[in-house]
Amino acid sequence: MNTNKLLSTAVALGLGLTSFGQLIDEQDVTITMDLQPVLQLDMTTPNQIEFVFDEINEYYAGITQYGATILKVSSTVSWDLYAVGRSTGTNGPEFWDQQISYGTSANPNAIGDLPLSLLELRQNQPNNGALAAGGAFPDYSQAFAASTAASGGNSLYVNGGTNTPPTTNDKYIGGHAGTSGTPGQDFLPGGSYLTSAGTASDYYYSIDYRILPSLPAIFPMAHDADGVTPEDLVTVNGPGTYAEPGVYTMYVQYILLEDQ
Amino acid sequence: MKRFLTSAFALLAFTFGSSAQIHCGTVELVPNTTTNALATFNNFSYYEAGYTINSVARVRVRVTDQAIPDPLCSWSLIMSVENNPIAGTPANEWEELATYGSGSAANPTIDMLQIRVRNACATSPINGVFQNFTNHGDVIDIISPLLPVTPAGSCVTNVNGPGDYISNYDEYNFDIDVRINPGFAVNPGIFQLNIKFRLEENP
Repeated sequence: MNTNKLLSTAVALGLGLTSFGQLIDEQDVTITMDLQPVLQLDMTTPNQIEFVFDEINEYYAGITQYGATILKVSSTVSWDLYAVGRSTGTNGPEFWDQQISYGTSANPNAIGDLPLSLLELRQNQPNNGALAAGGAFPDYSQAFAASTAASGGNSLYVNGGTNTPPTTNDKYIGGHAGTSGTPGQDFLPGGSYLTSAGTASDYYYSIDYRILPSLPAIFPMAHDADGVTPEDLVTVNGPGTYAEPGVYTMYVQYILLEDQ
Repeated sequence: MKRFLTSAFALLAFTFGSSAQIHCGTVELVPNTTTNALATFNNFSYYEAGYTINSVARVRVRVTDQAIPDPLCSWSLIMSVENNPIAGTPANEWEELATYGSGSAANPTIDMLQIRVRNACATSPINGVFQNFTNHGDVIDIISPLLPVTPAGSCVTNVNGPGDYISNYDEYNFDIDVRINPGFAVNPGIFQLNIKFRLEENP
């Protein structure tokens, strides 16, 4: 009996002791991070870039506007940058808007529908995010071709008057079509011109413009988006055609977007 | 019978040895309600320099003696990180609540969060230095467990005796700062982590 009591007491004491715990208190701090994508394209450029052809040599050699546009990129996500030629569509979605024609020419060979792709661009350094490009020209970094050798290497990308991104066969300024996720293939990584190495960085581009009418004014450098198919006036409209004198306008849209 | 009694006392001794004993009267964090902080990255500067929230929380300690003071009353304070792994969050990433855009990059990792603890007496050995977690459940000691008792009022490292933030604010209050550096290679979206502070008396 005494033994049983002693045993019970011991077990009870043991249970009592095991029920002890340390005094504890807790506090929580919940941190929510809202990462909003930031894509900034800072552009320095005149409101209007004018090309006035009033000398014969300007028709032959073209007019070049060096460094007319400076593009500076800051992006928090992987990005692509491209240029696309657009107009208001007065003469059609892929043509310059003819504001006025000079004279009263009724000559059927005088063509007022000038392709947007006659404008040439040249970026100051190659596109370092375009290894996946499949076309003849991944970017606008090649030198302007001589006036005697027609080339689509610098002709502006145009897509039916829309701002739809170029395909893998077309030109980008930075990055390219596709989402491989592999650096250098089809995008440029997030970053900023502010923290990169000045004019040599992937976040800073100087853009030159050229228009070369030639004589007769058929714009031999105009090419389709692939840079291979000619769009000069003779190829499109037939032998003997030429640009109707007048005032024409269009605009270049620069688009910075997340890698796509 | 004698052997039975011996076994019973052995069990008692074992139980006694493996149990912790309460040395303190109360152990509290004041207040102990959850703090919510939102870091909105909506301009490039935050991405470049990081987003810092100073004193996102103040962890205030109050530890009292029992009616008959026990000289072994002391405490520890630790913090751990949680990312809701039950929702499928990888161990080293923030919990994803929503994503923006194509979401083709990686989600932010836990080590992009830096956390700093400080008070005027620098009682924590990590006082004033930003620390990183790596994975869910990682623990960082503010005042480590099982240290010898250092009484309140000494204003030195590892003060862990009874006391409170009212009488010894510089030792018993901990300002918590956070800094987030996501960089430029992560998915945009909304992500979340929870930092748990745990005050416990030493056994």
